[in-house]
Amino acid sequence: MRDSTQEITIHTRAVGDTAIIYASDYLNKLSGEKIERECQRQFDSGRRTLIINFRDTELINSIGVSILVGLIDAAEQATARLIFSDLNSNTANLFEMLGLTRHVSLAANEDEALARIAPPGDPAVSTA
Amino acid sequence: MIQSPILSRLNQDEFFGRDAELHDIVRQCAADDDSRGLVVMATPDGGASELLRQAYDQLFARRGEPVPIHFAFKRGDTIATDTARRFFQTALQQFIAYRRVNASICNSTLTFHDLSELALPSDYELITSLIEAFDREKSSEREFVDFCFSLPNRLSAEGRAVYPLIDCTPIGPLREGMVIGHRLLTELSRGAFPFVLAGLRRQTNDLIHGLDDGDWEATGMIHIDNLSENAARALLESLASRYEIDLNEPTRDLIVQQLNGSPLFITEFMRAARAMRTRLNSFLTCQQLYVNELLGGSIQRRFDRMLDAISPGGQTNKTLLRVLYESAMSETRKSSLWAWKKRLGLAPPEFDQLIDGLHVYELINSSGSFIEVNAESYIWMDYLRAHYRAEVAAEPRARVVATTLLESLKRAPETMTRKYRRDSAVGLREVLAKFNCQDVPASLFHYDRFAAAYKGEDASTINDGLDSEKDLIQLPQVIQTAACASYSATFDCDRERCVVAHAFEAAEYTSENEIVWLAAEIDSKLEATRELTQEWCDRLATFARESGFERFRTWLIAPEGFSKRAAKVLDERKAFGSSRRQVQMLAGRISQDKQVEKPKADEYEMTIPMGADSELIAAHAVEKIARRVNFRPEAVNQIKTALVEACINAAEHSLSPDRKIYQRFVLEGDKLVVTVASRGVVPAPLSRENGENAEPASGKSRRGWGLKLIKTLMDEVEFEHVDDGTQLRMTKYIR
Repeated sequence: MRDSTQEITIHTRAVGDTAIIYASDYLNKLSGEKIERECQRQFDSGRRTLIINFRDTELINSIGVSILVGLIDAAEQATARLIFSDLNSNTANLFEMLGLTRHVSLAANEDEALARIAPPGDPAVSTA
Repeated sequence: MIQSPILSRLNQDEFFGRDAELHDIVRQCAADDDSRGLVVMATPDGGASELLRQAYDQLFARRGEPVPIHFAFKRGDTIATDTARRFFQTALQQFIAYRRVNASICNSTLTFHDLSELALPSDYELITSLIEAFDREKSSEREFVDFCFSLPNRLSAEGRAVYPLIDCTPIGPLREGMVIGHRLLTELSRGAFPFVLAGLRRQTNDLIHGLDDGDWEATGMIHIDNLSENAARALLESLASRYEIDLNEPTRDLIVQQLNGSPLFITEFMRAARAMRTRLNSFLTCQQLYVNELLGGSIQRRFDRMLDAISPGGQTNKTLLRVLYESAMSETRKSSLWAWKKRLGLAPPEFDQLIDGLHVYELINSSGSFIEVNAESYIWMDYLRAHYRAEVAAEPRARVVATTLLESLKRAPETMTRKYRRDSAVGLREVLAKFNCQDVPASLFHYDRFAAAYKGEDASTINDGLDSEKDLIQLPQVIQTAACASYSATFDCDRERCVVAHAFEAAEYTSENEIVWLAAEIDSKLEATRELTQEWCDRLATFARESGFERFRTWLIAPEGFSKRAAKVLDERKAFGSSRRQVQMLAGRISQDKQVEKPKADEYEMTIPMGADSELIAAHAVEKIARRVNFRPEAVNQIKTALVEACINAAEHSLSPDRKIYQRFVLEGDKLVVTVASRGVVPAPLSRENGENAEPASGKSRRGWGLKLIKTLMDEVEFEHVDDGTQLRMTKYIR
């Protein structure tokens, strides 16, 4: 896990019309806000499908969770689609426990997330 | 081996109940420069003077450095030069006695020439130079007094370590004596040696804080009250054996009760019995001797001396007796200061000195604008009654003797009954004093539920049942207990059986959380009836109203519990009702809580600053600890997440002044206990009911997940109050 003094950088990549945002190892207020800002930037640029990939995330605190809740709201208001992918079992349990899974789709990995978004047979969304 | 007394008036083996205090005083002689002044604060008849004398004798026998010096003020010490001269001579004499290992020098009448001759060759030059200086300094009163009082400093400066034991108790409230006492203490406080000051407890503050330098603070305190019942009984038995006086258990206990466990009065009483060859084998002979002592013996002398010392004399003495007597006999025993002033007809300085004197001798309690006669002492009340009749009401002496004897005899069985009732009481004050936010089974406060579940069961079955109960009551944190009688002189009940406990619920120091528990042990051979229960609920409600208690909780204790109809009354009144057995079980459980602080098998502590993701450092630490005891990976993650949440909570809510989070990780058998604490105020909703009400519903609420998360992730979570903050205690079991 990163050192607390290290700068947090949020990586993003685009796959077709979809933006994939990679959450950091510790999802707290600071890193949560960075994701929030990146999502907002994507919404503002007209993108309507977002995947947040939690493959690096080891620990999440409640402030980070509250920011994710805010994101879910923002996505709803922007009529955008939001999918959380690559959650480890701890993170998945935590989201389940807090009732987030009732408001957001979970995917086992990016491929599954992209497959859900893309119309059947659309090759643009394949990452393989 | 028992040493012969030098200054003490009791043999070493007859000095009871003060072992710890004696040990502290003897040990103080080796104190370093930072803890020099030990203050003994004593009740007027507590025997502080004898304690210092015993300490001197022990130190004398112990040998080695420093040299003990004992000086006792006298009641008539009002001329500084006389006191100073006596101090100088006493100190010098004791110094030489100690150096020569000849205790008899302490009590001999010697001139300065004798002292020079007796000094060891190695001390000769020093002693003669001090005596010469003593003669030189006589020209100026101030310099002479300062010189005499500085003797310990001068000896110390010459490499002769000394340990002064100063007994100021005889000074009492006398202003002149207090001034001289200040001067001596001022000199002692300038030295670099340990010393002990004994004074009456209501006088010592003036003695200490009246010091000219004002920079001396007591570094240790010893409180001397009257003897415990056991120690008082042992003293009586020992004296009876030494003086060959017949004594039996009932008379022994009566004397202890009647003399309030005062070592001074007990010793005087037994000396009188020896002198009069009185057999103390019946209440009658005991009370006859008591009345003799009250009307012409040591008890009368003691109180006469006190009153003479503080009263201007003449008619005022009689008026004072009248005012004291009438106040004591009034319903509340309380009068206004103004009324006293008017009735005594004294000008302010004299009046103030008189009131101060009565207060210092604990004959009255003076607080601001009210004066209350101290009616807790049988001896003082008996003296007051008898002397009022003889000296103010001018009743014939024979009649006063007869009346006093009759009354004391009639009172004897009542006194003993009260003692037996006190001995048999459940100790409500002690139980309530242990209340500190523990969660206890609710059935311990509801006799009907307890009886339904456990009647007829043995203790271990009941305890198992109580352990598994889910309905718990969180006790308040009790901060002070007192007898109801201390609040109201008109509330008729045993002091031990009717108790007021001031408390805070959830240990939150806010007005809303303030509550008073009113607990009463009521008499009933069978289950308490509805009528009796109702009567006590009413009595306590009235008491609460009259005492101005806005929120109160009634808790009644009946030996055999309460009838069904009585339980209904308790429910209606929202009052608690317990049997004696329930209280004992409760006491056992809340005492056990203290034992939780047993030595920890494996304990780690950590302090982190708030902010900068420092909770990650704590999370790493707890991860390592949890892995060592084989928590499953999922559980390790849950502990980490819970700890992170607790740290965030502490940082967000505590308004901590030091911005630090204190953590403890304790491995206890099959569980890991994590405690997270911070200084500062925690918002009430967070700590109340362990944060239940602070949580939003799950789902899309934006904030406030923390406590819910912690409670979900950990097996047990509880807030505990600590001074200036709150700590969260979280437990996870290894499964």
